[in-house]
Amino acid sequence: MMKRVLFFLLFCLFIANDILAQRKVSGVVTDDHDEPLAGALVKVKEHRTSVAVTDADGHYELRLPADGRYTLTATYIGYFDATKVVDGSHKGTLKFRLRENMMTLNQVVVTGTRTPKLLKDAPIVTRVISEQDVKRADATHIGDLLQTELPGIEFSYSMNQQTSLNMSGFGGNSVLFLVDGERLAGETLDNVDYSRLNMDNVQRIEIVKGAASSLYGSNAVGGVVNIISRESQEPWSVNLNGRYGAHNEQRYGGSVGFNLGRFNSVTNVQRTSIDAIDLSKGTSNAEVGDYSTIYGHSTLNVKERLIFSAMDNLKLTARAGYFFRERNSSETLKDRYRSFTGGVKGNYSPTANDDVELSYAFDQYDKSDYLVPTDRDVRDYSNVQHNVRTLYNHTFAGKHVLTAGGDYMRDYLMSYQFEDNGSYTQHTADAFAQFDWNPYKKFNLIAGLRFDWFSEAKLSHLSPKLGLMYKLKNCSLRGSYAGGFRAPTLKEMYMNFYMGNIFMIYGNPDLNPESSHNFSLSAEYMKGQHNVTVTGFYNIVDDRITTAWNQALGGQVYTNMSRLQVAGVDASASGRYSSGLSWRLSYAYTYEHIKKGEPMLSSTRPHTATARLAYDKDWKNYGLGVTLSGRWLSKVTTDVYTEITSYEQTERQTYPGYTIWKLSLSQRIWRGLNVTLAVDNLFNYRPDYYYSNSPSTTGTTGSVGLSVDIDRMFKKRTGKQI
Amino acid sequence: MWGVMITLLLSACNGILEDIYDAPQPKGTQIYGFASMDDKTHTGRIYIDATDYTEWHYIDLHDKRVTTAAVDATSPENWDFAIHRYDAKTNGGAIAEIDAKDFGSMPAVGSIPEESFVTDEWTTNKIMVDMSQMMDGIIRYAEDWYNPCLSRWLHVDTSTMPPVYTLSGKTYLLRLSDGAYAALRLANFMNDAAVKGFMTIDYQYPVQP
Repeated sequence: MMKRVLFFLLFCLFIANDILAQRKVSGVVTDDHDEPLAGALVKVKEHRTSVAVTDADGHYELRLPADGRYTLTATYIGYFDATKVVDGSHKGTLKFRLRENMMTLNQVVVTGTRTPKLLKDAPIVTRVISEQDVKRADATHIGDLLQTELPGIEFSYSMNQQTSLNMSGFGGNSVLFLVDGERLAGETLDNVDYSRLNMDNVQRIEIVKGAASSLYGSNAVGGVVNIISRESQEPWSVNLNGRYGAHNEQRYGGSVGFNLGRFNSVTNVQRTSIDAIDLSKGTSNAEVGDYSTIYGHSTLNVKERLIFSAMDNLKLTARAGYFFRERNSSETLKDRYRSFTGGVKGNYSPTANDDVELSYAFDQYDKSDYLVPTDRDVRDYSNVQHNVRTLYNHTFAGKHVLTAGGDYMRDYLMSYQFEDNGSYTQHTADAFAQFDWNPYKKFNLIAGLRFDWFSEAKLSHLSPKLGLMYKLKNCSLRGSYAGGFRAPTLKEMYMNFYMGNIFMIYGNPDLNPESSHNFSLSAEYMKGQHNVTVTGFYNIVDDRITTAWNQALGGQVYTNMSRLQVAGVDASASGRYSSGLSWRLSYAYTYEHIKKGEPMLSSTRPHTATARLAYDKDWKNYGLGVTLSGRWLSKVTTDVYTEITSYEQTERQTYPGYTIWKLSLSQRIWRGLNVTLAVDNLFNYRPDYYYSNSPSTTGTTGSVGLSVDIDRMFKKRTGKQI
Repeated sequence: MWGVMITLLLSACNGILEDIYDAPQPKGTQIYGFASMDDKTHTGRIYIDATDYTEWHYIDLHDKRVTTAAVDATSPENWDFAIHRYDAKTNGGAIAEIDAKDFGSMPAVGSIPEESFVTDEWTTNKIMVDMSQMMDGIIRYAEDWYNPCLSRWLHVDTSTMPPVYTLSGKTYLLRLSDGAYAALRLANFMNDAAVKGFMTIDYQYPVQP
């Protein structure tokens, strides 16, 4: 008995001594902008049992022995670790400020698999443009942003100064643009209205190059660009921003967000305008180019998204949007473009391994002519799409994911290009399934199949996909085969248009769908703060749809081209250091082989590259960001038919290459107040002749921007840094 | 909010907010020729479908009549001026360009110097009649009379593609071969669908000397 009492007393003494000898270490973990990071881990190297997780305010608390030096490390997904050492003399709080890891390998992506996946684990190569990249680029138009960030992408003008995309040999109608996974209605000369893609309030942009029709169906032949909107993270937030640049370019916008209880809302408004650009100004050229004036225009973009978390496992989302663009194509005529967008979506997770999504989306895109002499605004184009979608994910054994889903779309098109401004309606339906098999940590196999049906085209199509990924130390190897396809559109089937009172363009209801076989191999090497990725791809494209002259009809008719091939290599290397310095170099080579005699010949630039050198540093009351970015496009020599009515005689045409650099300086002056100064076309490049694929620059220009996060001005500052 | 949205959207299979646009002119209801006349002010409006490159449209201001004839056909017996697309010619008359935005602000006819009046000229490279091979750089012209002054009512800048069209906004005083005067203004050159070649011409006839 005595022994037991003695043992108990000794135990109490030991415990008391241990408690008395402990000290408390506490503080906060925040991001670069002093925003608290909830769920961050704080570990002690020398005392592995001491671990703390930050609460909703980013606060943590640890107990450590009273004496000795201890190394504390704070970690958070998507951010660089931060380490601090404390010794016996330490007093006060210990704050960790983590910098976002721009390698973004811990970034969650959804586009390649339609299910959330870490970027480093995605079996399909996905390029992510982060929110910070978007802000750095300071771009109003998505074209400026994509061209700055990615090689192999060129936005140029087609007829009537309509914007046209070429992404590694694929045009605008072969690259699927999505906003939060939803398609955009409407097109002009085979391209969606890129001005609708407001770059304000974007969380990230995911780009998957190569065919992806096994998940997305028609149009996903050359790739998918998915713009993901930002959800409100703060209880409340208000941002106001403005930018002024050359040619009286103005951009004003604002966002209001709240995140209260089960409700989360973001409202965003943006207004832009720019005057006409006289390309002949300051030159003595009588013929300055294919065009001498870039039309001025203005846009208004309003969008609202409301999320209601009805239960912990049920989320409902409603959204609505309005877009208006007016182009001053002449004193007598203004081209007007409008869209009305809305949708509802429900996400339900009945178990930890299952989630279901059901959504309805509405998108209407109208074009009208505002005739100044008569003050009349007459609509002559309207594309209305109703889309019902369902998506189901089930996770087996915590690692294998089955994805299945289906869509129904009603596609209505009224157009001035149809006889008597008529209209046509098409119904489309599809079903798809994909299995993401992860038998080993290092190995992943993904296989999918999709069936699409189109009523007017009387078309049924199967699109397969098979992807493999193998991880070897710091290297990830990926290989894939994917089928791509594009169904003939209502325009391509039923056009009956007297082009400029010069010749007719006829649709063709008997068109075959475009289809492609896409093979891709890539290697990604990651070590420390460096990343190198090389991807090779090869596409066989059958039945590409274009217009060709028909002698019998004396006009152009939509037709299928014979087989063509597109191959290339994308390579990029990047690094980011704790000093705040970062860099990225990217290069793309594209080889497009189209046989002579086909109605459309290749004009894709073979070599393109982008470069970025940036320095970002945040101090307590000041932040600095300096970015030098450039893009280089090689010249391209191509064959051009000498007659529009015959595909025999050609002549050589060379479009010159060019390099454009941009320098921007962004300063966080005080809490939420940011000022950005930028100089575009730093070395004053000016084309000798403005081709449709020349940059519409008149030389070096400057801009100034101001952004105010009003909520941050009222935010209580936390922690005391030592 | 969701209920309202679903009801709104499902009830509009072919789109919403059609009412924000002006209704297009219903097919077959457009009046061609002398569309309106005001006998008190001697003014009116002429609307002509001049989209066809192979036609002249002859306007008789006295009898308020428009006669259409092929480019190579004989002109009607009575006419005062004619248009082909945006090209114009007179029936032995002359045109003076007046810097007036409406008929009411025109100066007195007698104050206009004689040298301001421009007569027609014979052309071989103005009246385009066959554009079918334009994309191959071949345009066929008709040889015909052409009034360079009245044809200035619409400036077409073809140095850029697509061409830029600019209405002069001016008034054109037509001195007829019988010595009478008419005032002409090109109000529009497009229809509701922005198809070019639909000419809306405001006129005053006769103009008091």
